[in-house]
Amino acid sequence: MKRRINPDKCVACSTCVVQCPVAEVTSKFLGPRMLGPASERFRMLNAGEDDSLSYCANCKNCDISCPQGVEVSNINMLARAEYCRENRPSFRDWILAHGELEAKLVSYFPSFLVNFGMANPISKQILDMVGVSKKADLPKFASKQFPAMFKEYKQPENLTKRVVFYPGCFIKAYAPQTGMDLVWLLNKAGYKVEYPEVFCCCGTPLYTNGFEADARKNAVKNLEELAAWRKAGIPVLSLCPSCQLMFKSEIPAFFPDLAENMESTALDDAMEFILGCINRGELDISEADTSPLDIIYHAPCHLRAQGIGFPGLDILRLLPGVHAVNADAGCCGISGSYGFKKEKYDIGMAIGSKLFDTIKDSGIRQVATECGTCKVQIIHGTGNPCDHPLTILRRRLDKKTTK
Amino acid sequence: MKHTTVVIIGGGATGIGILRDLSMRGVKAVLLEQGGIASGASSRFHGLLHSGGRYAVKDNEAARECIEENMILRRIGRECVEESEGFFVLSQQDDPAYEKPWVEACAKAGIKTEPVDVKEALRLEPNLDPGIKAVYRVPDSSVDGFRLVWHNAMSARRYGGEMLTHHEVFAIDQEGGKVKGVRARNLVTGEEVCISCDVVVNAAGSWAAKVVELVGLEVGVQPDRGTLVAFNHRFTSRVINRLHMSSDGDIFVPHGSITILGTTSFHADRPDAHEAPTEDVLKLLDIGEVLIPNLRSYRILRAFAGTRPLYVAKGSAAGRAASRGFHISDHSEEGLDGMFSIFGGKFTTYRLMAEKLCDLVCEKLGVHAECRTAVEPLIADPSPAMMEKAAKYFPVHSVPLVANRLGDAFPIVVEKAAAMKSNPLLCECEMVTRAEIEYVASDPSSHSMTDVRLRTRLGMGTCQGTYCSLRTIGALTECRVPFPLSPADNLRDFLQERWKGLRPALWGLQAREMELGRAVYAATLNIDGARDEQKN
Ligand SMILES: Cc1cc2nc3c(=O)[nH]c(=O)nc-3n(C[C@H](O)[C@H](O)[C@H](O)COP(=O)(O)OP(=O)(O)OC[C@H]3O[C@@H](n4cnc5c(N)ncnc54)[C@H](O)[C@@H]3O)c2cc1C
Ligand code: SF4
Ligand code: SF4
Repeated sequence: MKRRINPDKCVACSTCVVQCPVAEVTSKFLGPRMLGPASERFRMLNAGEDDSLSYCANCKNCDISCPQGVEVSNINMLARAEYCRENRPSFRDWILAHGELEAKLVSYFPSFLVNFGMANPISKQILDMVGVSKKADLPKFASKQFPAMFKEYKQPENLTKRVVFYPGCFIKAYAPQTGMDLVWLLNKAGYKVEYPEVFCCCGTPLYTNGFEADARKNAVKNLEELAAWRKAGIPVLSLCPSCQLMFKSEIPAFFPDLAENMESTALDDAMEFILGCINRGELDISEADTSPLDIIYHAPCHLRAQGIGFPGLDILRLLPGVHAVNADAGCCGISGSYGFKKEKYDIGMAIGSKLFDTIKDSGIRQVATECGTCKVQIIHGTGNPCDHPLTILRRRLDKKTTK
Repeated sequence: MKHTTVVIIGGGATGIGILRDLSMRGVKAVLLEQGGIASGASSRFHGLLHSGGRYAVKDNEAARECIEENMILRRIGRECVEESEGFFVLSQQDDPAYEKPWVEACAKAGIKTEPVDVKEALRLEPNLDPGIKAVYRVPDSSVDGFRLVWHNAMSARRYGGEMLTHHEVFAIDQEGGKVKGVRARNLVTGEEVCISCDVVVNAAGSWAAKVVELVGLEVGVQPDRGTLVAFNHRFTSRVINRLHMSSDGDIFVPHGSITILGTTSFHADRPDAHEAPTEDVLKLLDIGEVLIPNLRSYRILRAFAGTRPLYVAKGSAAGRAASRGFHISDHSEEGLDGMFSIFGGKFTTYRLMAEKLCDLVCEKLGVHAECRTAVEPLIADPSPAMMEKAAKYFPVHSVPLVANRLGDAFPIVVEKAAAMKSNPLLCECEMVTRAEIEYVASDPSSHSMTDVRLRTRLGMGTCQGTYCSLRTIGALTECRVPFPLSPADNLRDFLQERWKGLRPALWGLQAREMELGRAVYAATLNIDGARDEQKN
């Protein structure tokens, strides 16, 4: 059955249009109100789909700004899924959606070969031909992916408390060290970390690129595992705002039948958890490095959409010697794989330019953000170093790491 | 003085249907309508193109007429009919004993009914109450009354039929027991017009008795008010009826982007009793909830009412028990030659009514041409090339809708849009662009923004005029459309008319919209002050 979100709450005020980063930089895009609640009233007539639906980046700024609580972006995403059921997405979108699968394949090859294979001019030309912008810096596969790294890592004995880590596909394939930083911090706070290998990609890239069935399969697997840990009373933590949002609000919106029997499908936010550890005295930061460090923090859209504040920034601000400012400059323009697409690369860069300028004008080198693809975009747009707040925290606490 | 063969009074479905039929048979005719086209019951109705299922048990003859006309209108009026089909649903409260006689009566009338497995019905219509007992599929459809009347008018115009809107007939002249002509007043300019003719046809619907009073006669027409509630979105894909003896508030009709629930039936003391009382709305919600349990969570756009021209033979029942069949009076039987009245019936059977009446008129005039209204489509289908071209200048969702509502004028408006620098949406809720609005506003029959609204759906969606009205009046002032009212007065009237429909159901989500609209116009733009300023 076609699932629909009741568009009745929209009062047509257009606040969302003003706040939509895509609508701001391109007239090709009909905008959140028109594509969302307004078009929804016509979709039951099978009146056809506007081409510009594919321009929605699912960044959620419309939802954040809507004074009436309309789930604008979810209306768009459901419509896109419906459209893609009849009109198969492109090969390019398949590639960008199935990063986890590709990561699995490349994990059998040495990473330098793979990354050379992706980054050399010929491959770039080929990717460009299928629609991945050759101007974009695609994230690089890690030399060792998270599952392998975790397996080799020896956690201290005699840890009594337990938590589970849900890494998500980005950390798994491209940023395993960030995951290991969390493991290190949790260990230090007295927690043994479990990583169940059945956990797979949360489905965000799959769903937003039009692969609804694949996203559903992942959700089934993930929720089953999540429910088991819930039952055991053990928190399941995630570092990635997009994964968190998928579990918390998109799975219930996209697959209500799966969420029906669970009180909550949400993962716990690792930043909130660590902040709790610090506040409870489980994680001692009094020994932290105190050398002065200026940081400019970018809040990912998918974190802002959760309405839980900025626990990552709060952690940075607790650290002695650290002076952290909030860039507060909107969307970075990447939105997962959106900004890698040939026809959207310039849009993504135009959206991000405000953030890039803010960072450059601040004169601060070190950027911090929770989201993996925001990080890729920020480095691409500014050339500055950019890290996860917990990576910075570890660096300040771990005497063994080099700064 | 103007002369014609036939004068028709009333520009509803019946009157315009007659104009088309006569014009196609080569009979010269002029139609006079006191308001805009279809400003009576033909736009203040439920918009159900009856399969006849609703009447099968009580009035099998009327049911047969419905199904026959239903099939004809799907052919000739494709642009006005959504072939959505209908369900008859036996709710937990309905008497299962009605089911069998109903199925038999439908078969007798020639209405195809097909039982649908309840589970399948719930899959197709997930908002139905899961406790329903039985479901049948019937060939119901929804029909856009206003558009159908307009497309009839376009067809009539092509055959030389003439119509004058905003002309109220106030006298019918006779001489020696024969009608001679009519006199009417142009309500916009105040001018009087006299038209001499051989035949007068009274197709004034609920006003029919008033018209006959002009010649000192009487007809059995009783105005009967029905209230309808329009919801902001389409929560059923097909027409949903209750499987029981027809009663109040038991039908949901999806129309384009909205759903209409109706209707009540109350004796009205005047033909223009168009106020929709809040009690009626609440009553409709109570009844509607039986089939759609979530009904109260949906946003009501507005409530409105129309009056049915019920035919009541002397001494017989009124209201729902009265006949839905139609009636023709040849007043020569009462000593006035050349005057006919037609009333009763349904929108669904307007064409048949027109045919029967025109047969009589032609017989009187000695004209032998055959009726062709059942075979010739009202308007020609737009060409695929034109649809493709339109997609460049209109939002994709809107192209089929624009093509359907404009009919003959579609190619003209597409060319107009192509020639414009840009063709912005002035009404985003119903997707109406500037090109369409400018074109319709310049039509001689448009005198106000309300006339434009009726033909385009401007201001009839979610925001009920809050955003589009200001944009539209700006655009129309810029391109100097000559309306009799000043821009500020035009805007005020338009908004008042929208707000009138909001008042009877002003709670929940629509109250928020209303407050926003009020803040924009009454506070920020000070619309009342703007009017006073113009006066000074
Ligand atoms: C609430 C409601 C729901 C209904 N639902 C349905 C339905 O779902 N399906 C269906 O088939 N039928 C339905 N009907 C019935 C249907 O609407 C009417 O039968 C039909 O529209 C009548 O058309 P008409 O042309 O005879 O009358 P009208 O459309 O009322 O036209 C009469 C016209 O005459 C004009 N007039 C009157 N006096 C004068 C004068 N002196 N000079 C000039 N002009 C004059 C009036 O302004 C009016 O426009 C419904 C009716 C109501 C009230
Ligand atoms: S999700 Fe982002 S891009 Fe899509 S409509 Fe909303 S604000 Fe615009
Ligand atoms: S979705 Fe929300 S913000 Fe956008 S127009 Fe509707 S009510 Fe306003």
